[in-house]
Amino acid sequence: MIAYIVRRLFQLVLVLIGVSMITFTIMFLIPGDPAVTLAGKGATPETVARIRHRLALDKPVYVQYGMFVGRLVRGDLGESYQFNRPVMQMIKEALPNTAQLAIAAVLIELLGIPLGIYSALRQFTFWDTALTTAALIIWGIPVFVLGLFMQWFFGLKLNLFPIAGGGGETVLWVIPADYLNLSCLVLPAVTLGLIEVAYISYMQRASMLEVIRSDYVRTARAKGLPERTVVLKHGLKNALIPVMTIAGIDLGALMGGAILTETVFSRPGIGLMIYTAIGSLDLPVVAGGVLFATLVYVIANLVVDIGYALVDPRIRYE
Amino acid sequence: MADKLLEVSDLSTHFFTHAGVVKAVNGVSFDLEQGETLGIVGESGSGKTVAALSVLRLIPDPPGKVVEGKILLRGRDLLGLDDDEMRAVRGNDIAMIFQDPMTSLNPVFKIGVQIAEAIVLHQGKSKREAWQMAAELLAKVGIPDAQRRVNEYPFEYSGGMRQRAMIAMAISCNPDILIADEPTTALDVTIQAQIMDVIREMQSVYNSAVIIITHDLGVVAQMADKVSVMYGGRTVEYGPVDEVYYNPHQPYTWGLLGSLPRLDETEKQRLTPIKGQPPNLLLLPPGCPFTGRCPYEREVCRQTWPEREIVGPDHGVHCWIPLDERVAIREKLPQFQASVA
Amino acid sequence: MADTTSAASFAQPQLDSPLPPTVESEIPTTRPLGLWADTWRRLKRNRMALVGLGIIVVFLIVGMSQVIAHLAGVQLTPYDPNAVNYALTPEGIGSPPSLSHPFGTDYLGRDVLSRTLVAARISVLVGVIAVAISLIIGLSLGPVAGYYGGATDAVIMRIADVFFAFPYILFVLLIMTVLGPGFTNVFIAIGILSWATYARLVRGSVLSVKTMEFIEAARAQGASDLRIIFRHLLPNTMAPVYVAIAMGVGGAIVTEAALSFLGIGIQPPDASWGSMISAYLTYLPAGSWWMLLFPSLALVLTVFGFISFGNGLRDATDPKLKE
Repeated sequence: MIAYIVRRLFQLVLVLIGVSMITFTIMFLIPGDPAVTLAGKGATPETVARIRHRLALDKPVYVQYGMFVGRLVRGDLGESYQFNRPVMQMIKEALPNTAQLAIAAVLIELLGIPLGIYSALRQFTFWDTALTTAALIIWGIPVFVLGLFMQWFFGLKLNLFPIAGGGGETVLWVIPADYLNLSCLVLPAVTLGLIEVAYISYMQRASMLEVIRSDYVRTARAKGLPERTVVLKHGLKNALIPVMTIAGIDLGALMGGAILTETVFSRPGIGLMIYTAIGSLDLPVVAGGVLFATLVYVIANLVVDIGYALVDPRIRYE
Repeated sequence: MADKLLEVSDLSTHFFTHAGVVKAVNGVSFDLEQGETLGIVGESGSGKTVAALSVLRLIPDPPGKVVEGKILLRGRDLLGLDDDEMRAVRGNDIAMIFQDPMTSLNPVFKIGVQIAEAIVLHQGKSKREAWQMAAELLAKVGIPDAQRRVNEYPFEYSGGMRQRAMIAMAISCNPDILIADEPTTALDVTIQAQIMDVIREMQSVYNSAVIIITHDLGVVAQMADKVSVMYGGRTVEYGPVDEVYYNPHQPYTWGLLGSLPRLDETEKQRLTPIKGQPPNLLLLPPGCPFTGRCPYEREVCRQTWPEREIVGPDHGVHCWIPLDERVAIREKLPQFQASVA
Repeated sequence: MADTTSAASFAQPQLDSPLPPTVESEIPTTRPLGLWADTWRRLKRNRMALVGLGIIVVFLIVGMSQVIAHLAGVQLTPYDPNAVNYALTPEGIGSPPSLSHPFGTDYLGRDVLSRTLVAARISVLVGVIAVAISLIIGLSLGPVAGYYGGATDAVIMRIADVFFAFPYILFVLLIMTVLGPGFTNVFIAIGILSWATYARLVRGSVLSVKTMEFIEAARAQGASDLRIIFRHLLPNTMAPVYVAIAMGVGGAIVTEAALSFLGIGIQPPDASWGSMISAYLTYLPAGSWWMLLFPSLALVLTVFGFISFGNGLRDATDPKLKE
């Protein structure tokens, strides 16, 4: 087990190095000269040159990369061109909004597990067909389309929830503690959660169906175990594995900022931060945001893999 | 007269699929006494596995259903039991060993857990006691270092060990009947003999009756007291092993015996395989399923299923060819030429 | 595919499966690719998949005809999609669906139906070209990784890992920022980001198939590595890839819509469903629901078609699914 974790950590480091290289390359390739942008209109060439020197933009590529990585390792993501604030601080401010959204959405999507199990156990009945059809349709709705619809219907027409905003009091940093905060969370979380519920229930159903037909479930029955034990003990543990990994990875992905949802609902999280920064060519913010999001995603994948190995012993010997 | 241990009469199990009705088992009968070993022989698709699963009522419904017959366990019809009663029988009175131990063991549970489960359920022992018994069972079936091995997962065992573990699981509650469905097919030839030994040993220790399902006539010859030959969902011949092997009356049985290489042959004989393909279970004729492959068939064979004909002590056969004709044909077959002793 | 031997078989597709290949191949599967009839038969019983297939066909017909029309400079819609007509938009918010304009008109008086049809062209192009680019890269690297194993495999898979590490939308956004907004850049961005999925799929299958005997036979005949990879291995590992293609096209269409919605994708005067949604958004509070509804419906329906068919295809080629 330990060997497995060590191996995965080693892979993680390699991946992060690759990620930093690609991110840096992309930043480098983005058209536009940040020195010019920072200097503003009507700046003299000397000002621009001075700024360029200050930003170390006149050094060779690999030196810049080295400096980049050096700062990264120290947790320094640079300063925003636009706001002159440390990127790290901007991320810290935006993070709670994203975290709340991510956690809420994943909690909602876990509802897909019982739905999928129910559907599998009632295969060929009306409910199964209905749920599966609904799942397929909803799964395919692009998140921003659904988001817009939710805004229109629940926000404008029924005026139940606000259609924009975020922030506010929190408990433990991730639980909204005042009504405004909570109500702003509802629509975006439900939007994300609904699409994911559809996906998860479909996957869980498929997984459950496969497990129910397996030989080891037949063996369990042949031993005289009650049907409930056969399904819940022997079947479920196997059937849950693929789905739990999906949920875990989702959490990681959403922590990186659900750009589309945050944009549609104007929720000031990491996604919106990155998106705005792209628009204003605020490279440090873009790079910092993307690196942060990627780091979280990669770590989430690692945690999920370890969890998988804990549950399914075969993985530890891969 | 005392009830037989197991008496299956006219068992029919059909599968209702959108492609049609598959008569996997069609009017099959066999019985078993305490301590006896019955071999059910046939090719893939003959219905032997389905028959065994039907005894334990493990046929998935839909699409399968036991449509007819009686399965009497010491006089008690298993088909009339409710779910709870049937569950008390499974693993307890009748236990089953499946063909592929890799897929038949739950990969995410330790071997000990899977063996102890049945013990806790049927014998009411505590988990700790059951666990200890599981380790002892593993040792009994020949798994070295059983105390440590009981803590491991199926993938950590070799193929032969897994099958031994399955045997341990099956005998854990002293079943009266042990059904072994092709227990050695998925294993290396070198391991096959070992596994058969284990089964035989367990049988004598626990005085269980054994139903061994196989396509391997050699295995049946070694282990069984009596044999039932199945084809296309029907029993075409049955009887004590010696009777059937030395006095076979069904053309299919002749074919099976003919395709076996024999050690006592002096001249080089060609193996005579049975021509043709296994039957399409969706399109079985109302008569004998062997029609189309039987070299001696006649008009009536396809139309009507022949009644049972007793041709020896406890030895029955279903065939339209009149007895004397059969014996005459058989005498001329290469596989039954008297060998030089 | 015609010259594959009768020993053709491939392993069960596993998208991101951490299960070691030995466990996978414990379950032997035989589904010779020539048996499309068999797959089709199973597919036919899945109503949702058939509906999906129908939608895909309609979509392809509409989209391809628009592509051809565009190339030929011909208009294949009831009205000119760019024809501004202030008479049809009295308050500047367009007019609702009517007999002459079944989808209504937008704020500039343009016919929504025509615009929706024309936008299908973009979606078809995105689906086809982006996925094609991914396939070319993925189907080159994947089999090579699987066949050679060792260092080659490790390097290619690590690179794939890096691509998988980025959250998808973010990555696409980044690339688009580098390349700049517009038509062709969308295809390129989506294309070069999705290759890893196909590569991994094929590599997994190749790992299982490459030890099979007919590969030995080919090698014994003196076939070169390249020939073995592309003539013998690849055709036998394609089934999971077809499923991934179906899903991939759906995904590409959604991604393009998202990019256009964010303003980075298709630029005016070109219209895609995503950019239409973005443009018409502001008119919703004023009550002009039809402008938003029809492109959205087109988008949702098309994606549903691909997902539904893809799932059906996966079920139909799943050898573990007992009938």
